[in-house]
Amino acid sequence: MALTHSPGLTGWFDAAPREEQDMALRAFEAMREHLDEREIDVLVIVGNDHLLNWPLSNTPEYTVGVDETHVGPADWYDEWLALEKFTVKGHAPLARHIVNQAARHGLAMAHKRDMQFDDSVSVPHAHLNAQAGRPIIPITLNCTVPPIPELRRAYDVGLILGQVIADHGGNERVAVIGTGGLSHEPGGPRYFFIDEEFDLWFLEMLKKGDHEALMRECTLERMEEAGSGGTAELLAWALALAFTKGPAEVLGYAPSHAWRSGTGFVIWPEVI
Amino acid sequence: MGNVERVDKTLPLNDMIYHVRKDAELRRRWLEDLENLCREFGCSEREYQTLKAVDIRGLMDIGVHQYLIPHILRLFYGVTGMTNNHPALTAYRDAFADEAQPALKEPNG
Repeated sequence: MALTHSPGLTGWFDAAPREEQDMALRAFEAMREHLDEREIDVLVIVGNDHLLNWPLSNTPEYTVGVDETHVGPADWYDEWLALEKFTVKGHAPLARHIVNQAARHGLAMAHKRDMQFDDSVSVPHAHLNAQAGRPIIPITLNCTVPPIPELRRAYDVGLILGQVIADHGGNERVAVIGTGGLSHEPGGPRYFFIDEEFDLWFLEMLKKGDHEALMRECTLERMEEAGSGGTAELLAWALALAFTKGPAEVLGYAPSHAWRSGTGFVIWPEVI
Repeated sequence: MGNVERVDKTLPLNDMIYHVRKDAELRRRWLEDLENLCREFGCSEREYQTLKAVDIRGLMDIGVHQYLIPHILRLFYGVTGMTNNHPALTAYRDAFADEAQPALKEPNG
C-alpha cells in the first residue's frame, strides 16, 4: 500500500475542507482493515528522510532502522505534527537481515539504531498503526538531495528487497507501505502548487497495473515539473509497487491546498 | 531540473540548520545569539545577513536547501499550526506571490 505522509494529516488536519477530511479518514480505515484482513505481522514503512537523520554532507540512498524499539516523532517534529511521542516495537532480526542480504545483492543500505522520525513514518504510523502496534521496520530514502534517483531505481531496489525479505525464513506476514507524494514542492517557490493533472495521471497508471509503462513515462524530470523536491517522494511508492502485481485500488485523492500536497491513498489487492 | 537542484550541499548554513533544529540549546541561541552561532558554524557574512533578514529568495539564491527554509521560518516564528495562515507561510506568499496565486484562490488555501 502507499499513501501521502504530509504533516497536515496530523498537524492541521481540521484545516482542510470536510470532504477532504472524510476522504482521508475513509482511506485510513480501509487501509487498517486491509492490514487486519491479511493478518499482517510486520510493517516495512518506506519514506524519505527529511534531512533529519542525515545532513546534506552525507545522505545515504537508503537507511534501515534496526533497533528493537522505535520512538518518535523526533523532538522539533512532534509539536509540528501535533503528535504525542509513540513507542513501537521494531523487528531487529529482519531489519538486520535486510541490511546484510541487500549488500550481498549489491545494494548498499545504511543502518541506524537510533533512527529519528519525521512525518514520513510518524504520520502513517499515527493513522495506520497506533492502535494495532505492529512492529515496524522503517526504511528511509533520499529523494531530496541531488543526485535524486529515477523512479526505476526505487522499483529495482524494491525487487531486491522482495527477494531479501522472502529469503528471511520467518513466518511473519510483512506489509510494505510506501509513504510520500503526491505532487508538492515543500519549501520551493511553488510551495502552494499542486499538479492535479500529474497526480491523476500517476494514479491512473497505478490502476492500469503496467509497471513498465510507469517506469518508462514517470521520469524524474516529469516529477520535478510536478513539484520540485517533493513529488519524487513517489520513489517510495515505486519501491512498494515492486512487491505487487496487477492494478492498484485508489482509495481516495484530493489536491489538498490546506495540507499543501496532492493527497492520495492506494492499496494493491495482489502482491508477489 | 527543478528548484531543489539549486542547493549548495557544502554551504555551512545548511549544516547549521540541520543541527539547530535538533538541539534545544542551539535553538535558544538562534533567537538570542544568532551572529555568534553563525560564526561558530563557519557561515559567511552574506549567509548571516541573508538569514537575519529572513530573505527567503536570498536564502535560495545562496544555496540553502529549499526544504530547510520553512524550518528557518519555524525557528523564527514558531512550530505549531502550520496552516497557510501561519507567519511562515504568509512570508512565502509574499516572497513568491505569482507562484502562490493559484492556491490563494482556494477558500481553504
